[in-house]
Amino acid sequence: MLNLSSFVQKAQQLLDPTQGLNLTDSDKNPSKASLFQSQFRLPDSQHPLYEITAELTIPPSNVTQGGKNDQDRGFHYAGKLHLSEAYLCFSTTPSSFLQSASTSTSSAFTGQTHGGGPSGNGFTFPLSSIRRVERLHSQNFQFALAITTWNGIGQDAPKDLKDRKEVREQRITIQLAGTRVACERFCDGLKKGLRAAVGNVGKLKKVIGECYSEYLLRPEEQKGVNPPDAGLGMLFRYPGDPKKLRDRAKMRLWAEYLRDNGRNVTLIRQPTFHKLIRVGLPNRLRGEIWELTSGSIYLRLENPTLYADTLAKHSGKESLAIDEIEKDLNRSLPEYPGFQSEEGIGRLRRVLTAYSWVNADVGYCQAMNIVVAALLIYMSEAQAFFLLSTLCDRLVPGYYSTTMYGTLLDQKVFESLVERTMPILWEHLVKCDVQLSVVSLPWFLSLYINSMPLVFAFRVLDVFFVEGPKVLFQVGLAILRINGEELLDATDDGAFISVLKNYFARLDESAHPKSENPKLRAVTKFQELMVVAFKEFSGITHSTITELRLKNKDAVLNNIESFAKRTAIRNLGPESKLLSTDELGAVYDRFYGVLYERQQRDLIIKQEEARRAKSNRISRIGQVVDEGNVEKGRVGLGPSTSLMDYDAFREFLAGIAKWAVSDSPTQSRRDTGSSNGGGFYNSFRKNESSVSPWGNGPEPADHEFLRRLFRKWDFDSSSALTLQNVVTGLARIKGKRDIMGTINYFFELHDDDGDGKVDREGILRMSEALLFLSRRGLEGTLDRPTAPNGMMTEGGMVTPGHEVPDQSINERFLGSVSAFIRRCFEYADPDHPNNQNTQQEQQTQTTSRQEDNLISIDDDDAAQGLADPDAFAIGDDDDDFDDEENDDDLLGLESPTASPRMAKRPDTATPSSLQPPSSLHLDPSTAPSSISNPNDEDQRRRVSRQQSEKANIALDPNNPLHITLPTFRMVVLADELLEQFFESSFPCSFHLVEGINMSTGGSSSTSGASSGYGGLGNTFSNIGFFGAGAAGNNAQQGAGAGRGLRGVLDNIVTDGMRVAAEVRRRMEEAQRELEKNALPGQQGRPGANRNGGDDEDDDEDDGGPVEGLSLGGGHNSGSAAGGSAAGSVMDGRRGSGQVRSSDRDLLTGADAEASDPTAEVSQVQQGSGVPGGSGNGAGSSSVPAKVVGVEFDG
Amino acid sequence: MADANTPKPSSSVKLVLLGEAAVGKSSLVLRFVNNDFQENKEPTIGAAFLTQKCNLPTRTIKFEIWDTAGQERFASLAPMYYRNAQAALVVYDLTKPTSLIKAKHWVAELQRQASPGIVIALVGNKLDLTSDSAGSAEVSGDGDDNAEDSGDARKISTEEAKTYAEEEGLLFFETSAKTGHNVTEVFTAIANAIPETSLKSARGPGASHAGASRTEEQRVNLNGPRDPNAKEGCAC
Repeated sequence: MLNLSSFVQKAQQLLDPTQGLNLTDSDKNPSKASLFQSQFRLPDSQHPLYEITAELTIPPSNVTQGGKNDQDRGFHYAGKLHLSEAYLCFSTTPSSFLQSASTSTSSAFTGQTHGGGPSGNGFTFPLSSIRRVERLHSQNFQFALAITTWNGIGQDAPKDLKDRKEVREQRITIQLAGTRVACERFCDGLKKGLRAAVGNVGKLKKVIGECYSEYLLRPEEQKGVNPPDAGLGMLFRYPGDPKKLRDRAKMRLWAEYLRDNGRNVTLIRQPTFHKLIRVGLPNRLRGEIWELTSGSIYLRLENPTLYADTLAKHSGKESLAIDEIEKDLNRSLPEYPGFQSEEGIGRLRRVLTAYSWVNADVGYCQAMNIVVAALLIYMSEAQAFFLLSTLCDRLVPGYYSTTMYGTLLDQKVFESLVERTMPILWEHLVKCDVQLSVVSLPWFLSLYINSMPLVFAFRVLDVFFVEGPKVLFQVGLAILRINGEELLDATDDGAFISVLKNYFARLDESAHPKSENPKLRAVTKFQELMVVAFKEFSGITHSTITELRLKNKDAVLNNIESFAKRTAIRNLGPESKLLSTDELGAVYDRFYGVLYERQQRDLIIKQEEARRAKSNRISRIGQVVDEGNVEKGRVGLGPSTSLMDYDAFREFLAGIAKWAVSDSPTQSRRDTGSSNGGGFYNSFRKNESSVSPWGNGPEPADHEFLRRLFRKWDFDSSSALTLQNVVTGLARIKGKRDIMGTINYFFELHDDDGDGKVDREGILRMSEALLFLSRRGLEGTLDRPTAPNGMMTEGGMVTPGHEVPDQSINERFLGSVSAFIRRCFEYADPDHPNNQNTQQEQQTQTTSRQEDNLISIDDDDAAQGLADPDAFAIGDDDDDFDDEENDDDLLGLESPTASPRMAKRPDTATPSSLQPPSSLHLDPSTAPSSISNPNDEDQRRRVSRQQSEKANIALDPNNPLHITLPTFRMVVLADELLEQFFESSFPCSFHLVEGINMSTGGSSSTSGASSGYGGLGNTFSNIGFFGAGAAGNNAQQGAGAGRGLRGVLDNIVTDGMRVAAEVRRRMEEAQRELEKNALPGQQGRPGANRNGGDDEDDDEDDGGPVEGLSLGGGHNSGSAAGGSAAGSVMDGRRGSGQVRSSDRDLLTGADAEASDPTAEVSQVQQGSGVPGGSGNGAGSSSVPAKVVGVEFDG
Repeated sequence: MADANTPKPSSSVKLVLLGEAAVGKSSLVLRFVNNDFQENKEPTIGAAFLTQKCNLPTRTIKFEIWDTAGQERFASLAPMYYRNAQAALVVYDLTKPTSLIKAKHWVAELQRQASPGIVIALVGNKLDLTSDSAGSAEVSGDGDDNAEDSGDARKISTEEAKTYAEEEGLLFFETSAKTGHNVTEVFTAIANAIPETSLKSARGPGASHAGASRTEEQRVNLNGPRDPNAKEGCAC
């Protein structure tokens, strides 16, 4: 029964060396689904569910073409019948999309198709267009189905029987060839699909109502109604001379074909169909056939109102794309009268605008205006809108993207093809340094519309829509081939271009004007072009193109990316000059790298979710994922986003700064196998292991400091960072390399309202941030490392084994931060004038306790300063005027280099401006002197005139206080370690170029020596979270064990415990001290902490650490909560796995389910005489024992 | 002007036009090549190629003009066109501040990526839309409030652009493709600025053998399309 042509096809398939190559340029491993969608031009929502070998029989009445068919028995086609969610497709191109099928059988249609187009002969019926399916008796007990369609549903219902005859029922039969089980499974699937499709008949009616064929095939007496919109041509005439185009004859042929083979969605493709397309479509049907052959009608069917809805939804809005569109509206095919009118321009505007909304990534690209203008001559706005979508997504992917990578790629492909097929011409081009693409690029970009006279460009489009992008290449090659000799004479771009320009201008002339043969003389240059293109270059197939696209893709993308990078970096503005080119380049790469990877992961995760959801719903498809877009986000492809949200920002930082890596990753399980592409689709088990939301990189921390940094960098408060924002942000920290700048920056970061003051909370947050930033150790140049001393040693907690210099610095830093808090409170300004008054009064009473060394400048004093009982006097930089004068002089003498900025006190307008003069001068003098301290004595005398009793005021929440930038600066500079931190350590902690190497995140990768830092930080923050050191330790251990650390675990825990104990001790002291001094209201507060070891160290801790720590635990609590969430996610996953497998059981038993007796809408009727439709017994038993089709009106 | 009776040395110069979309690049070329102006000119797809001669007292320069597309996303194609260019015309729109920013980007790009020694001219187009369209290069205030009323849509002062051009060592002109003001001057100035040395090395063989075939080919371009209303300027 197989007919000859299919044998031929099969044979050619075997011979075609490019078989088995891939289809989409974006994926080396196109999914079966995407191949299926390409072959039948179906929307992305469709997946191959069932397929079966079958033979299509078109009854004699429908056969209008002669050929070698048996007139009595109709026309037969052997091929494959496919079923998707909403379509029943048949093609003589025997490709298979089953899971088990090899790639070569799936991509079989990409070979030579002999003008049949990838979908071959056959049909693509939306299930909603099928009116009835009957199972026929057949001699061999084979399955045979008779399918009746809703052909002509768009017409008014015939009033009587006589009229009914006018509308010929379209009825075809399909004989399934397969095992009984396979056939039944297919039929059950079909039945389900049909049932689901019933609701869509309304949509179908609406869609085909806009098809001109419906009007064309109306009986004469019903033609009173307005014909559907077949483009601007109906109003402004179609281009070209209709007589010369033989439009009427073509129309008659088409009317006949459509009458016999179904129209629009119910059309059956037979060889004549393709022949009719090759000779050029008639004007009024052109739009509809384009829509059909490109598959955009199926998009329209899926969402018929999308166009109108989009316009309505965005009406009145503005966008960059709209501005660009407006610029070009008046200059799109301006020679066509329709586009000199408001009507035509209005349509063009609406279609382009609507598309720019639905596909904001593409927006608007010049050349789209020309293409859409051309489409609008032949089709309605909605039709053009959907066809534009199909063009951009499928036919010429990437042509109009923001980087135009598709255009550039296809130019490379075209060049390779020229080199391959016309080596002499190619050599000539190379020799003359003529760049082919400067000539050919506009051909492709405007689909020849801009290059050839319109009438001919449309003929190219006719074939292009049915046969795909290879047509553009075939025509291009043919142009060069035909003009080969003249081109060999041309020696530069100019000559080359003018040869071709001339040629295009004379396409309508005879190709052989001097020929004796009148027939030959009648052949135009255009006809010759088509013949050369499709005969001589018939070897150029979809596979050829795909293969070459894959081959050139990386080079093209790399080119674009390096260009984009170059341009972006150059345009970053003056701030960026603070960073080196290498650093900028690295930031650029990291910025887009993070965005790209995040999108990839998102996509994979979404796909997994989708698959999970799908596999719960439908049957036996392991793979329903369209991988076509897996590379979304790559810069070269036109980044779909260039904005970094907070999570991406964290990930970005975690790549360059150690402190931004989380200590306690929430996701302990990381299945690396799952993230490497398509390999895992086939295994259900693997599917369950989700990709980590952070990919393979370390999990970033989430700390208040990060949020502040993000907000600070987010210059325009858009909740997203541009590359510019990131570069500016980094440049301000890393670029200036001046300590004052960094200190100011840090202060501003915590000055929420920008009034130049940081309150109590802020001070605590600052110290938290300092601990956060230093918890993995300090980097940069730390001068003069001194032996550990002070409190750590006193506490007796230092384990001898850990006496590493680094570590001691780190421990000292802990002390520094502690002192920082203390001093901040010491020197803070009260917020209320009342308090100030009080303080001043008090101050006058107690003027001279100057001997206390509050600001301990030299190293050795540092620890003592901490231990100094009097150090807890609350700071007040209110000095008497004598001192002030003194300082003034000092300033003038000692620090002439102080930057002018420092002379300005930021908050002169605030209540605390009572004291401005002193603080004004105090700070700059402190700055330099604290480094090289020649005037210790002065300072001490000056700053330490304090009273410890004032602690009460400072600690009392009812007495708000704040520090100003000068105070902050002073406090920082008073401590060598802090100073070094701001001078070098903090800026150095951003490793822009080299990045950080923390493969698994957490502290597991820190080396032995530094392992303590992680523990240190952890412990610290854990305390904050749990409120007590013991709990912190537990958590620490828990977290550590959960992470499954290597041998360093013990060290960390030991260190952690040690530090935790130390901190606890200090907290308890603070508590005690608090209780001693506290106002009544404060007494009961952190009572739980009171089991204190007594300590001779009189540190009158001010409650700062306690509060600070409990405040600062945020990130840790977050991660702990995350941890438990992760646990439940894992449970959930297991659960869903079970659900899925049970579903699968259900689905394999779908046969049984399908026999649902309520299926009165069941369109697949089984002849009851046929025994053993196993599952269907119940359903059919309720129906009389004859073949009955259930009809329903949509 | 294409009359070259005396056998003067003739050489080709590759010139590329760059600038934001719809600033009038193609119109400038059309004015220069055909002394014509079209109100609604089709946007250039990729690039258009045209030629025109420029007679200098001592020699004849034949410009091979690559007129590029202005839309931002076409920028990545630009290197293809400015490859080997000896001269560049960076065009902005006097009535659109963003177009000067874009022009500056192009200048930076050319200075770093194009052939060294490329002659760059900065051209502010659409002078006809400003009040000083007579040509007196008078400086009008930036963003003048009553600019619209007086019919002066100028948004970029001559001074501003000129200062920038001097800093970067660019030729500078304000033109109107519509009226033709200053258009030829731009090209003449560029022709004069091309160093003799780069001419000899540039396209030596092609220029010397130019003779007959060149003039013919040039006529094709100069006479423009077969009918005056047809689309014009697109490469092929």
